[in-house]
Amino acid sequence: MIEADGITKRYGDFVAVDDVSFTAEAGEVVGFLGPNGAGKTTTMRILTGFLPATDGTARIAGHDIFSDPLAARRAVGYLPETPPLYPEMDVTGYLTYVAKIKDVPRGQRKAAVESATERCGLADVHRRVIGSLSKGYRQRVGIAQAIVHDPKVLILDEPTVGLDPIQIREIRHLIADLADPEKAAHTIVLSTHILAEVEAICRRVIMIHNGKKVLDQSMAELTEAGESLEDMFARIILREEEAA
Amino acid sequence: MRHVGAIAGRELRSLFVSPVAYAVLTLFSVLAGFFFLLSVQGFSEAINYYQQIGQFEALRGINLNNQLIGPFIQVMWIVFLFLIPGITMGLFAMEKTNGTEELLMTSPLTMWELVLGKYLAAAAFVTLLILMMGFFPSLLFLDGDTPVLGLLFGGFDLADPDPEGLQTLAGLLGLWLLGLTYAAVGTFASSVTRNQLVAFFLALALLLVLWLLSVVADLGVAEGAAGTATGLASVLTWLSTSDHFDKLARGLIDTRDLAYFGFMIGAFLILTKTAVESVRWR
Repeated sequence: MIEADGITKRYGDFVAVDDVSFTAEAGEVVGFLGPNGAGKTTTMRILTGFLPATDGTARIAGHDIFSDPLAARRAVGYLPETPPLYPEMDVTGYLTYVAKIKDVPRGQRKAAVESATERCGLADVHRRVIGSLSKGYRQRVGIAQAIVHDPKVLILDEPTVGLDPIQIREIRHLIADLADPEKAAHTIVLSTHILAEVEAICRRVIMIHNGKKVLDQSMAELTEAGESLEDMFARIILREEEAA
Repeated sequence: MRHVGAIAGRELRSLFVSPVAYAVLTLFSVLAGFFFLLSVQGFSEAINYYQQIGQFEALRGINLNNQLIGPFIQVMWIVFLFLIPGITMGLFAMEKTNGTEELLMTSPLTMWELVLGKYLAAAAFVTLLILMMGFFPSLLFLDGDTPVLGLLFGGFDLADPDPEGLQTLAGLLGLWLLGLTYAAVGTFASSVTRNQLVAFFLALALLLVLWLLSVVADLGVAEGAAGTATGLASVLTWLSTSDHFDKLARGLIDTRDLAYFGFMIGAFLILTKTAVESVRWR
């Protein structure tokens, strides 16, 4: 699970993330929404330990990201905006390397790589060189590297960008499956611009605008209110912009 | 430290599937062969010259180590100067352009594991270069009837025709340490930029400055007021790689020179670690 507590990131006078707190339970899929430049990626980078926060902290699966960074990072799988791939490596070689640096014990590495390959639909291309793969496959390799060490928490920055509709559906199934409380019950935070995607897979929505959290509600509550996500997104962002 | 091997291994595998490693290996063997031939030629010309002018005293003083192997090893620094930055330029710069920096920095690695992993890959490559280069002087250790030696001496018997094994190894050790130092400087250069070309030229510039510090000291540029000047000059000379390397290349092992190379490698790896970590401060 994730407990973010007053995360703030300042660059000089510019406040990229302003006092963002939230919690996400095991088995929960949280959608991170907001216009471009709202601070979604910065928040995710702080949660994964790539950037330090100026203020505030977070706990990943109970490990504080600043006082116990290695344990916290072990518990996170992260797909950045651009999948972190080595074009000259083959898929299996790459995933094996990631498994090594993510502390998958030697005896379990082969099984972990095979399972991630299988789940992301990469079995047919596992011996191909990553640089020769299509964008959709590369995105899937990016997701595979995020789940290869079976982390409790998954942070996915626009996981379906660049995929065709069939692939998007597969990835959504995969995400739903990873969060399934009956199975692994991962905690998943994903950012996206596709509001339909949020409606399809997220149980909760957190909206960020100008670095501030402006909405944090369960999908069920939102549907009850009867307003479409798109209308609400526009309403909140425009209201915020008028206020500013 | 258990991740060091994984990082170094990946780096080496990537190096050997890219054309860079093969281009460097090819260039290196061609240049090493060329400089070895030049050294051989210089050696036989010296013999001929002394013979013609009848300087038999001087001839007796000539031996393979001081007049051939030593100069050969000494001149190879210039090959290292250009080739090692080519090997190290991608170490960190490539991670930034690939976006894989985010993978590394969000993995349960310590900064030292990352820096040492990268450095060890470059160090392994330098070691390979030294082993390849060792082929040339080892020709001189073949038995006296081989064509190589016949060509060399032109039928003349040297007072001391056999090369000294340990002296040769000491020279190679010196070049190896020089290469390891260059690799550390190159690793640092790669950590401060995302552009491989910039990393290459930065490394080249740093290495040239390091080499030329002693020349600066010799020129007296460092001389100012009487008291402090000699101090500054000796510090510059100590910091410069050239004197330490020249002594080792001639086969003189001095622990102070060994300590110098250890110090430089350590200093540049600490700088690298600081540069890599600085992503987190910004």
